[in-house]
Amino acid sequence: MTKPQAAQRPLIKALLTMGLMAAASVWLGGCVSATVDEMTFMEPTGGIGDSSVVILGRRHASDYDTELDFIQCVGDHIRRGDNSIAVLEEQVFLNSLYPWFEPRTAPLRTQDIAKLFTQQPVADKLAEIKLEYMIWVDGVTIETNSSGSMTCGVGPGGAGCFGFGTWGTSSDYEATIWDFTDQTEVGRISANTSGQSYMPAVVVPIPIIAPVQGTACDSLGDQLLQYLSTEH
Amino acid sequence: MDSIALHAKKLRQGLASIILLAVMSACGSKQVIVQGSFPSPIMEPLPLTLGVLYPDAFTNHEFFDEASGPAEIDWRVNTGAAQVQFWDTLFDGMFERVVHIRNHDDLHQGDDSIDAVIIPSVADLQYTVPTHTNIKIYEIWMRYRFRLVALDAIHDHDNGDLTYNPANSFADWQLSAYGKTPTAFMQSDEAAVNLAAVMALRDAGAHFITSFGRVPEITQWLDSREGLQ
Repeated sequence: MTKPQAAQRPLIKALLTMGLMAAASVWLGGCVSATVDEMTFMEPTGGIGDSSVVILGRRHASDYDTELDFIQCVGDHIRRGDNSIAVLEEQVFLNSLYPWFEPRTAPLRTQDIAKLFTQQPVADKLAEIKLEYMIWVDGVTIETNSSGSMTCGVGPGGAGCFGFGTWGTSSDYEATIWDFTDQTEVGRISANTSGQSYMPAVVVPIPIIAPVQGTACDSLGDQLLQYLSTEH
Repeated sequence: MDSIALHAKKLRQGLASIILLAVMSACGSKQVIVQGSFPSPIMEPLPLTLGVLYPDAFTNHEFFDEASGPAEIDWRVNTGAAQVQFWDTLFDGMFERVVHIRNHDDLHQGDDSIDAVIIPSVADLQYTVPTHTNIKIYEIWMRYRFRLVALDAIHDHDNGDLTYNPANSFADWQLSAYGKTPTAFMQSDEAAVNLAAVMALRDAGAHFITSFGRVPEITQWLDSREGLQ
């Protein structure tokens, strides 16, 4: 292996510094505060057996949609926590029961569930997938404030940034659990999280991201696991 | 030294490319050919044999919005192929039998079992992107017009065109559909508009299925058929 030439050394040094800073940004994280409220009834003390659960995002508001990836995250959290719980994929469920769970047609009150069972193909499908719990998740993650400034430049000798930026993020989600067999609401769990992210930049910007949405996902997922699983 | 000069040259070329791309994208237009996969509706099929006639304006439907200022860009949204794919799937699941009427041969195949022919059209399409509204949501709104006619109300011409007299429709109704999708990390404007269009088509299907039997002329027609049987 040949030694790097003197002219290449500053470039290698800069690359090493950038790598170290990037690694440091992964380890650093902004602070997140979380509040979880739970009110549940009729817990399945013996677990849900071979029945299934579906988590659906509410997409009925005019100015926001509950994020698809957040619903996926909560579902994955439950599957990881107890792999005996069958959590149906949201899109697969919506497609297999099209058009009865579209924003226009989905039951928004437990009283509306009975109407679904009046249609034989829908009732047969629900029986086939053994749906026991349907969980509506309503909420969104938003950026609450941002400040600071950053300047970046590119020149023949290299590129770099200088400055400081910060922004706040807030997540507010509520899960409503429906027992599909009894056609009744059996619980509500809410998770509110907020945090501040920072991005100082001295040549290389170092994002220090507060995992606000991830914390909300874990908080909601943990509470749902406690409700649904016998192992938690 | 050569190495540094080479890096600087590459950097300048890269920067020039980025600036050129930015300028081109600011002045250019965006085109979306709507694509998606659509599920078949889960329902008891209606005991009808439905003829389906898609006018050319429907199968080639596209929406073009010219930029109104230097800060905006042109948008061309082509929904025709997706419309045909979606409504084919929907009609196949909703009616006991579907017969496509595309040409002279289809029209004169002597299929007496066709109860009615449906002729859909897109009456209006509007869209918004976050740059229009400052809300982080892409939206598509569509208004459809459907006509039901008897098979013998459709005429063919020497040039192969099929026409009908709208006055001969025994049902003529409109329905609206709406689809939206929020902004997402690493999602382009085109992908978001496509997703919003797919959501709008799904909503159109849901609206069609839930309202078909409530259109007064159709209720009357279905009742008269039951009276005949």
